Amino acid sequence: MQPEARNENLNPTGIKVVSLISIGQHPQSGRARRAEQDARAVELGLNLVGTGLELLHAGEGDETVMRSYLGMGLPKMTLLKQRDHCDALPVLAEYLARKVPDLVLTGVRAESGEASGMLPFLLGEKLGWPVINRIAAIGEVVDGEVEVLQALPRGQRRAIKVRLPFIASVDMAAEAPRQSAYGPGRRAAIDANATDGVVDAVRTGWQESPARKKPKRLKVVKAKTAADRFKAATAKPQGGGGKVMKNESATEQAQAVLDMLVEEGVIR
Amino acid sequence: MILDGLLPVLISVALALLVIGAVRRVSLWRAGQPESVNIVAGLLAMPRRYLVDLHHVVERDKYMSNTHVATGGGFVLSMALIVLVHLFGVDSQWLAWALLAATALMFVGAVFVYKRRQSPPSRLSKGPWMRLPKSLLVFAATFFVVTLPAAGVIPAEAGGWLLAVILLAGIVYGLGEMLFGMGWGGPMKHAFAGALHLAFHRRAERFGGGRSTGLKPVDLGADILGVDKPRGFKWNQLLGFDACVQCGRCEAVCPAFAAGQPLNPKKLIQDMVVGLAGGTDSRYAGSPYPGKDVGNARGGPDQVITEGLVNPETLWSCTTCRACVEECPMMIEHVDAIVDMRRFLTLEKGNTPNKGAETLDNLIATDNPNGFAPGSRMNWAADQNLRLMSDVKEADVLFWVSDGAFDMRSQRILRAFVKLLKTANVDFAVLGDEERDSGDVARRLGDDATFQSLAKRNIETLRKYKFNRIVTTDPHAFHVLKNEYKDFYPQGEGNYEVYHHTTFINELVKASALRLDLYKGGAVTYHDPCYLGRYNGEYDSPRELLAELGIELAEMERSGFRSRCCGGGGGAPITDIPGERRIADMRMEDVKATGAELVAVGCQQCTAMLEGVVEPRPEVKDIAEIVVECLVEEVH
Amino acid sequence: MSDLIRRDPRTEWITRNRLHPLHADVLFSGGGATGAVRGPSGLIRKNPHASGFIGPNGIKRIDRLAALKGESGPVAGQRRGAAKAATEVQLPLVTVENPDFYIVAVLDMVGGRLTSHDKDVLGQGHKLAAGLKANGEGEGVVVAVAFGEVKETSFDTAGADRVIHLQGEQFEGYSPEQRITALQVIDQQLAPRHWLFPDSVAAGQELGCRLAARLGERPATQAWQVDNDSALCRGGSQRIDISRATPRLLLLAEECADPIDETRHEAKLIELDNVPATLSRIQDCGAVDVDPSQIPLGEAEFILSAGNGIHDWNQFHAAAEVLGATEGASRVAVDDGFMPRFRQVGATGTWVTARVYVAVGISGAIQHMQGIGQCDKVVAINTDAGCDMVKRADLSVIGDSGEILAELIRLVESRQQGGAEDAA
Repeated sequence: MQPEARNENLNPTGIKVVSLISIGQHPQSGRARRAEQDARAVELGLNLVGTGLELLHAGEGDETVMRSYLGMGLPKMTLLKQRDHCDALPVLAEYLARKVPDLVLTGVRAESGEASGMLPFLLGEKLGWPVINRIAAIGEVVDGEVEVLQALPRGQRRAIKVRLPFIASVDMAAEAPRQSAYGPGRRAAIDANATDGVVDAVRTGWQESPARKKPKRLKVVKAKTAADRFKAATAKPQGGGGKVMKNESATEQAQAVLDMLVEEGVIR
Repeated sequence: MILDGLLPVLISVALALLVIGAVRRVSLWRAGQPESVNIVAGLLAMPRRYLVDLHHVVERDKYMSNTHVATGGGFVLSMALIVLVHLFGVDSQWLAWALLAATALMFVGAVFVYKRRQSPPSRLSKGPWMRLPKSLLVFAATFFVVTLPAAGVIPAEAGGWLLAVILLAGIVYGLGEMLFGMGWGGPMKHAFAGALHLAFHRRAERFGGGRSTGLKPVDLGADILGVDKPRGFKWNQLLGFDACVQCGRCEAVCPAFAAGQPLNPKKLIQDMVVGLAGGTDSRYAGSPYPGKDVGNARGGPDQVITEGLVNPETLWSCTTCRACVEECPMMIEHVDAIVDMRRFLTLEKGNTPNKGAETLDNLIATDNPNGFAPGSRMNWAADQNLRLMSDVKEADVLFWVSDGAFDMRSQRILRAFVKLLKTANVDFAVLGDEERDSGDVARRLGDDATFQSLAKRNIETLRKYKFNRIVTTDPHAFHVLKNEYKDFYPQGEGNYEVYHHTTFINELVKASALRLDLYKGGAVTYHDPCYLGRYNGEYDSPRELLAELGIELAEMERSGFRSRCCGGGGGAPITDIPGERRIADMRMEDVKATGAELVAVGCQQCTAMLEGVVEPRPEVKDIAEIVVECLVEEVH
Repeated sequence: MSDLIRRDPRTEWITRNRLHPLHADVLFSGGGATGAVRGPSGLIRKNPHASGFIGPNGIKRIDRLAALKGESGPVAGQRRGAAKAATEVQLPLVTVENPDFYIVAVLDMVGGRLTSHDKDVLGQGHKLAAGLKANGEGEGVVVAVAFGEVKETSFDTAGADRVIHLQGEQFEGYSPEQRITALQVIDQQLAPRHWLFPDSVAAGQELGCRLAARLGERPATQAWQVDNDSALCRGGSQRIDISRATPRLLLLAEECADPIDETRHEAKLIELDNVPATLSRIQDCGAVDVDPSQIPLGEAEFILSAGNGIHDWNQFHAAAEVLGATEGASRVAVDDGFMPRFRQVGATGTWVTARVYVAVGISGAIQHMQGIGQCDKVVAINTDAGCDMVKRADLSVIGDSGEILAELIRLVESRQQGGAEDAA
């Protein structure tokens, strides 16, 4: 379901949009990839200003990943080259302060590393721009003001008006990114600028290890009486096969279904 | 007689026009991309390719085969003799009589063509093709009469002005259709283009009983990946399109066409012809793409094909089952062309429909199409105690598990096969988590970059270990390993044998490594997987194996090389182009028509597709599962 | 009144005489629900005969479980349960008059109520406070900060020693800037030892990050095992754990700590210094109506899914609308053209993570079952009691889907009307 016509080269709004892209990580394989939220941010940007969108990455700039973003139809991108474990914030803030875009798009959280989700807010704080979290769509720019749709849990949306310039982090609820095409991605230009990276000193003291499985919270029965303990010990474990209603009337059956729905809180 | 003077002129003019038209046509083909072909060897091989290889295909329809031999043979002979007798005026009664015989032969053939065209089946194109039998008759009859004096049957002065005028008209009409039309895009174009197509065919291996089904790799460094415009095809591919006789045999066997999806291989090839010559498809007189009107397609050698000439949906409807290629009497390579155009859509446009993009992303990120953790590839075999290649380094047989490892239904097939291997004490090992998707789906979806990356990494793994042969339960992996990995192996390497598990089990049974009971159950039919049958010519082993179990197959009408696809190939379930019916449902109808209670299958994709048909329906089982049921286990 | 205990011989007699017509009344009303009677010496005696009920075999049974469950059981059991509920134990109240330090927890308060995540965060707050106390840093309090309208009444049992309630027009809706200003005021006023936020989509993550950026703190995010020295944080894609020194500001994952359940806290309101009004550059234009049927399947939390067993599609769509469910479909339903492809659930369609998945007329092909593997509760409506979906389902109703859906629609509609009348 992709829109028929895309304003690939038009920039009707005439605004400058920068999309920050990061190295994603596949949750199953851990392999570097186009980050899902960042790709959605790029998609939003492309739909907003076409190929006028600027892609910006600070870091080593894994070539395959950068090209997979470029394969969405952008002829070039800017790479602020610095070594891993350098803090992306200072170089990005410096670059953005110099370029003064109208809109900066990011993902909500990185897919690798600390993934604190702090970057948009830190940038906002540094640049003095408002930050809007988890947007799903951006409307048209009217007199420097734009209406964005913010994604709320359970597929709900909130309309927000904000003046340019601002920073927005893009939620997974935004339109899915277009496919990355290998050919154009390979031919696009990566404009690499060397920077003096500042090593993230705080992080050096941390210890990283593969994620441990979080223990599932047990239902601890704090029994005060013998009967409580007896009950806890003999209670039927959950999930041991469901309840089957065969011979009840349709009304009773429907009532049982309804009770379950109400109990689970999906019907209010 | 006035004709005597006029005839050589007319013939010369017609021949000149033919040459001019031919040169023009050749220049259209030469607009395509270069491809090195041995011109001389091709031309020398051409008669044999025509008389033997092509004839094998045509002969499947005896009526048409005989008709074509008479008509075509008669015409070629007549034309040669006409040049001698009427152009160069060689005065020989012998030659004249030979010409009489040739034209008579052609006439007889043309009569049959005419009869066939009285009520043509829907697959045949109409339009100019309806005119052709009449033109053939006129040509043959006219030259028969014209030659009569030269043979001395009738005096040279016989007949009056009226006859002369009628003959003149016949000559002009006949030569016009046969020679002018040949060079300038009439129905007879097929003779000229077809002959050259056979000579310069891109897959010369197909002639002389060979087989060439692997897709050609894309040069990933090229400026445009895949084929964007007609000019983007290789020149001999363009030539191949021009060879089409619009017989519609491809249309008759195409599963997508039958399912009402917007694909008709014949129309596709004709659209390519429109593209290479420029213009619209308004003169096309055959069946349209289901659900699409004729007359709206417009193209030219330098216009992007998917922008006006062919709808991308058409290209994505194909299941790459090769039924059209198998049936084509002109040996046109439809699937190559379709995949070439898909490559452009995927690699340049990033427009793989529906779940295509997701599947490709998964393949890139996890080496399997569904995005499962690569480290969970062996989970299915947790209880199987399989030996890993990384531990043993060497084994007689490498069992290529394929992505069926992630699918709960396919795992049953894998377990069954493992049981057979163990019972027969085969020295085998698996790659385990080192294995990756073979790249089949990525390649059929046009993403040759991902295919090549998967193939190269798989090859790197394979090269680490020593084994004598590979065996797999997945015909798609089988095909790719056997036919498409060679292009990526270093010179002289990669000479392993690849077995499909049905072949392998059959060998085990023949070597008495497995003791089998007779099959107890109802009627059984067998569905030939496209990638096992048409792609690799393995029709017999599965049947032999089933016969070993005492099963007398109730064959479907469409079986063997004519087997109908299950709808699961070529990424078709992923791109999922809507039609009026589902291919799997139609195939299950074929099964039901045999009265079978069980359909034996040799492919996990076919199993999934056929089991997806709503019950009640015959049961679907892989041959490995059936064999395991009949296994006599030794009691220790 | 005199302290002298007077005996009532008649009552005593009736109490002794089990065949007396008034026996039961006297026993339960006079002596109280526990069946307590005054013994001859004036002591309160339990009458063992008063509890229990006569079982089906005529034998007296004492049902202790019924009392706990509060289910409608035999009369005696119910009475006993009721009595127990009335004497619910008051959890011990923890009071801290002059706290040495503050730990501030900013809560999500979805719908004005504490979420379980909020309770975990409060629990974590107390864990940190206890740790600090053990280190000799004195007695601290956990302060709960709630924005907007609050309906919650159990701050005390959830572990809030203090509550800061920021209410008013300026805090309504999406007002992150104003909220951060308020939190800054709190930061100055209380100088909290720790700031705790739930790392949640609801609000916590955003506010936490904003405050961290404002205060220049480096927060621990997705922290799931925290003590006073170190915090264990989940990294990107849930693939790594980062162990680091516990910072001042923490964004806590769900189930980071056990909620408070054995103590009661003061929940004393703290008045805040004047919170200056911030010029808001972000204007909230309110919620946008989202049609549940438009929610992507992967995001949906309640899916009504249709399969081959559906015959009346209009009714199915109506049911989905009435229930407010997102529509799903089996492959067959999609292939047959009744539902669009992007509604297909399963390994070959969308993998769903709904909390409740209602499968109507879906027998459960293996690919479909794979696709709903992560659903919490599955309800099957099917005619075939032996199908795989019924085996997987937590609740299965066997019968004609049309009838059951019709009943379900009727019940939900009457419920909604009933609700409306109640409100009116």
